[in-house]
Amino acid sequence: MSETNKDFKPTDWHSDEMNARIKRRYRKEKTFKAFGLGAVVVAALFLVMLIGKIASDGFFGFFQTSIELDIPFEQSVLGNPREMSPEAFQEQVKRANMLRLIDAAMKEHFPEITNRRERRDLIRMVSTGARGQLRDMILANPTLVGTTKRVSLLASDDIDQLHKGKIDKNEPEANRKVKDKELGWYNKLEEEGRVTLHFHSTFLTHGDSRDPEMAGIWGATVGSALTLVVTLLIAFPIGVLAAIYLEEFAPKNRLTDLIEININNLAAVPSIVFGLLGLAVFLGVMHLPRSAPLVGGLTLALMTLPTIIIASRASIKAVPPSIRDAARGLGASPMQVVFHHVVPLAMPGILTGTIIGMAQALGETAPLLMIGMVAFIVDIPGSVTDAATALPVQIFLWADSPERAFVEKTSAAILVLLTFLIAMNGLAIWLRQKFERHW
Amino acid sequence: MTSSAIFLILVLLSLVSFAMTRQKALTRAGGDPAKLHSLPRHYGYFAATCVLLPSFFAFGIWLIFGKSIIEGLIVSGLPDRLFEVGTDQATLVLNRIRLVVENASSPETDPDILAAAQKFNDLYIRGIWAAFALSVSFGLVGFYLASNRTQPDFRARNKFERIMLIALALSSVIAIATTLGIVASLLFESLRFFHEVPVTEFVFGLHWSPQTALRADQVASSGAFGAVPLFAGTLLISFIAMLVAGPIGLLAAIYLTQYANTKMRKIAKPMLEVLAGVPTVVYGFFAALTVAPFFRDLGITLGLDIASESALAAGIVMGIMIIPFVSSLSDDAITAVPKSLKDGSLALGATPSETITQVVLPAALPGIVGAFLLAVSRAVGETMIVVMAAGMQPKLTANPFEAVTTVTVQIVALLTGDQEFDSAKTLSAFALGLALFVSTMALNVIALKIVRKYREVYD
Amino acid sequence: MTDTKIAKMTAKDVHVFYGDNHAVKGISLDLHQDEVTALIGPSGCGKSTFLRCLNRMNDTVATCRVEGKITLDNEDIYDPSIDVVQLRARVGMVFQKPNPFPKSIYDNVAYGPRIHGLAQSRTDLDEIVTVSLEKAGLWNEVKDRLDSPGTALSGGQQQRLCIARAIAVNPEVILMDEPCSALDPIATAKVEALIDELKGRYAIAIVTHSMQQAARVSQKTAFFHMGDLVEHGDTTDIFTSPKEERTRDYITGRFG
Repeated sequence: MSETNKDFKPTDWHSDEMNARIKRRYRKEKTFKAFGLGAVVVAALFLVMLIGKIASDGFFGFFQTSIELDIPFEQSVLGNPREMSPEAFQEQVKRANMLRLIDAAMKEHFPEITNRRERRDLIRMVSTGARGQLRDMILANPTLVGTTKRVSLLASDDIDQLHKGKIDKNEPEANRKVKDKELGWYNKLEEEGRVTLHFHSTFLTHGDSRDPEMAGIWGATVGSALTLVVTLLIAFPIGVLAAIYLEEFAPKNRLTDLIEININNLAAVPSIVFGLLGLAVFLGVMHLPRSAPLVGGLTLALMTLPTIIIASRASIKAVPPSIRDAARGLGASPMQVVFHHVVPLAMPGILTGTIIGMAQALGETAPLLMIGMVAFIVDIPGSVTDAATALPVQIFLWADSPERAFVEKTSAAILVLLTFLIAMNGLAIWLRQKFERHW
Repeated sequence: MTSSAIFLILVLLSLVSFAMTRQKALTRAGGDPAKLHSLPRHYGYFAATCVLLPSFFAFGIWLIFGKSIIEGLIVSGLPDRLFEVGTDQATLVLNRIRLVVENASSPETDPDILAAAQKFNDLYIRGIWAAFALSVSFGLVGFYLASNRTQPDFRARNKFERIMLIALALSSVIAIATTLGIVASLLFESLRFFHEVPVTEFVFGLHWSPQTALRADQVASSGAFGAVPLFAGTLLISFIAMLVAGPIGLLAAIYLTQYANTKMRKIAKPMLEVLAGVPTVVYGFFAALTVAPFFRDLGITLGLDIASESALAAGIVMGIMIIPFVSSLSDDAITAVPKSLKDGSLALGATPSETITQVVLPAALPGIVGAFLLAVSRAVGETMIVVMAAGMQPKLTANPFEAVTTVTVQIVALLTGDQEFDSAKTLSAFALGLALFVSTMALNVIALKIVRKYREVYD
Repeated sequence: MTDTKIAKMTAKDVHVFYGDNHAVKGISLDLHQDEVTALIGPSGCGKSTFLRCLNRMNDTVATCRVEGKITLDNEDIYDPSIDVVQLRARVGMVFQKPNPFPKSIYDNVAYGPRIHGLAQSRTDLDEIVTVSLEKAGLWNEVKDRLDSPGTALSGGQQQRLCIARAIAVNPEVILMDEPCSALDPIATAKVEALIDELKGRYAIAIVTHSMQQAARVSQKTAFFHMGDLVEHGDTTDIFTSPKEERTRDYITGRFG
């Protein structure tokens, strides 16, 4: 068998040269391993930085600074509810210039300031939203008229940022958004304990606003919800039916192969291309309303479809053939085998895939920009055809705003979005673990 | 009469026909279900589909084409006076009419437009009633036919299952239809664009400034549509992203598959999944707010001129986003290498790192190449990070410290905000979309082919 | 069974645990320089596990724990001062399924010498590759296509390539884990002939399912059952006059 009688010299494994070589090899081994660990650590650091930065910025977005002022609810401005019909009083209150009340309160507090311009600056320390706040108070309780009451009014975004320490008081005045004069006023109010920080529910319950202190994410949240409902209603049935067909019924032919390749490729098409499709087809051809959750949902449905189909197919495939054979043995038709036995068993996997697809759709921004869900919308959308925006788009819009205070609003909105995403993914993981079967 | 009300009525109709047909089947069988060919509810299912399909079809046609048809009718009935300037006017006039229709308090004063809007409303109401009547009668015809066939020997289940099978097949065809829709819409609009701007200028032109003149007779620039600077910007940012994601993702995959213990893997893998699950708009925000200023300030300290919207910042953040993508695909590729190869190398006295670099990685190479290609395709198509953190200046540069713009940024810039659908400017967005679609598709097809071929070797 | 010669490798009271599973229970066995020792026994009897202890391949299994003492030239191979990389170079291994690397035939054989630095020059390396292939009886079949991939060879050729690869690092012991179980009879015959050729130069341990193979290639046979070493001795004795009931049952085909 052997073709030679030559032999190797015995290797001296303990020579100095060999020992040095071994040492070198182990050093390389250590370095390589360290690089690998380093890569994992770097990835983790990125995540910590990203989440840390956004959480630390966003935390304050849920809080807002208020200034407590003794507001005189003057009859001269508001009218007398005792002498007027309720309707006339409401009308007058709605038209009344609330700034005069704030001005009066400020005058009481800073009697030394008489200059008109400075007085206006004083009033500007309070948010423009304070007017609505006062109006609502009076309408809810007309007996306030004629009294003076300490009211906590929303501060303007600059004062808010100052109070939260986001504006450096030691910076030269020219570079600072809050000037020395206002700083003095602020310090005075602060010393008197009139500047307070509150949890700010408006952020969660109101729509968008040009003023960061008044801006909320409820409108975007509802927009996202409506969009997702449309996406789910379209993508889930179609995705599951398609998966059933491909896995259980499709003949093995060219067309089926084409569909398979096509689905895999579709899953990797950039999302913005789906946006272009939505723009050209749903808006251009079908004339569906622009900026509407209906169109957003349809577009995202097409985008999510491959994810759902792929997950559903995997789940259906995992159901062992013995179950199909057993059902067939009892005389069930192919359709009954699938819908009575295979699909219920595959459902946890299908649902998991669907939830993950929905989470992707929830975080998606680019296609929604294409179909115009990027407008400034204050109202809460009521139906799928109303103009609306979505959470990620709201984040995009706010991120673009120049006001410093929008940074924390953006981060807070991101925290809300991430909370939803974590909840959805958590649900998917829970489903998977709870119903996971090993055949 | 709203669309949703009509839908509701049609669904109700089908439910009623389900109940009635089921009952009828039972009655015909003299109350003994055993005499029927199929279960009573199968007769019901059959009738319900016989109602739903034709009526939904009729109503769907109205939903899709109704408005376009009415608008066509209106435009043809308008006086020529409104179209003096040219054919482009048709869309403008239509837009004015739409404004009046949608918004009662619009400032429109032209009596013809107002009249047309009135006519539109009339026609629309008539149309929706006609559609309603048509779809309901379609449904009733379907019900009548199904009801007639409700005999004990009628094979209702087989018929119904036949219909179901067709529905299943149609669902799977939607995936193809989506691709066709993408190709058709991109191609159609791009062809219109290339009608105005030669393909060669688009593909080879070095100058991009899509601001066309507002009026046709203006002397100002007619816009330049050379997309090379956009392609270059996209490639530059993708390249930077891959410089970050490639090594980190691959090394992380190596560490997690070859060195890490179960506990470490249990922490690290979900961590990477979280990194992958963060929406891109969040990365964009992080890039624009934190990373870009950081590099700008770093540049000032080092005496380098780094733009505040540098390609570097956008590229690095995009790289972070792609890390989990590279690592999970590389993980798959490495795990697919048979353990026997690794054992063979270890048994010869190779260290783990020698085994990995000289045996495992070469064996997994096709899978890793595929992973990298898919990652590049992801980077090329990524939108939000570059929209928020890369600039708008179409500059032809390889300097990562400068601001560049990308294909996706320009698509977003061209199509958000007010626009006329027909101008070369908006159409160019579709040409860019086509370029994006074709290049990512090519990358995917090649990557999937490589990965699949490689799987065959070891399966 | 008395051993008069000095053993190349000695195992004394070796226990192996996979987590809670006690897979090998106190085995003592010697391997000699110019002998082939066959390890036989039914599936799951611990013979492969034991074999993998001899070059510490079991280290790669996280849950595996080895107790007892195994020496190579009187050095404890589980001693911390022993370098596992060197140990595995001295104790080569051939696996059940041929596992050539996805490299050329030349690079497959040159892999070990390269990582251990056994060749000072390209000509040295060429020499090592040639001699190893010759020893494995493969040279004449592949000398014209050293650059083609090792995976392109037939199964039997692949296994002989793996043997050449192991020989190239100049080991003192060669462990073979069912080297012929994936091969057809003709390829098996070639590998068996090769083992016979190699016997003089290396201490060889071979795990096999086939009693005929054990009888053909080995001088010593050890019969394993349920993690125990039931009987160990000259191959001819084991097959003609087994002392233990279980051995007799096994070689006569009553179980296994």
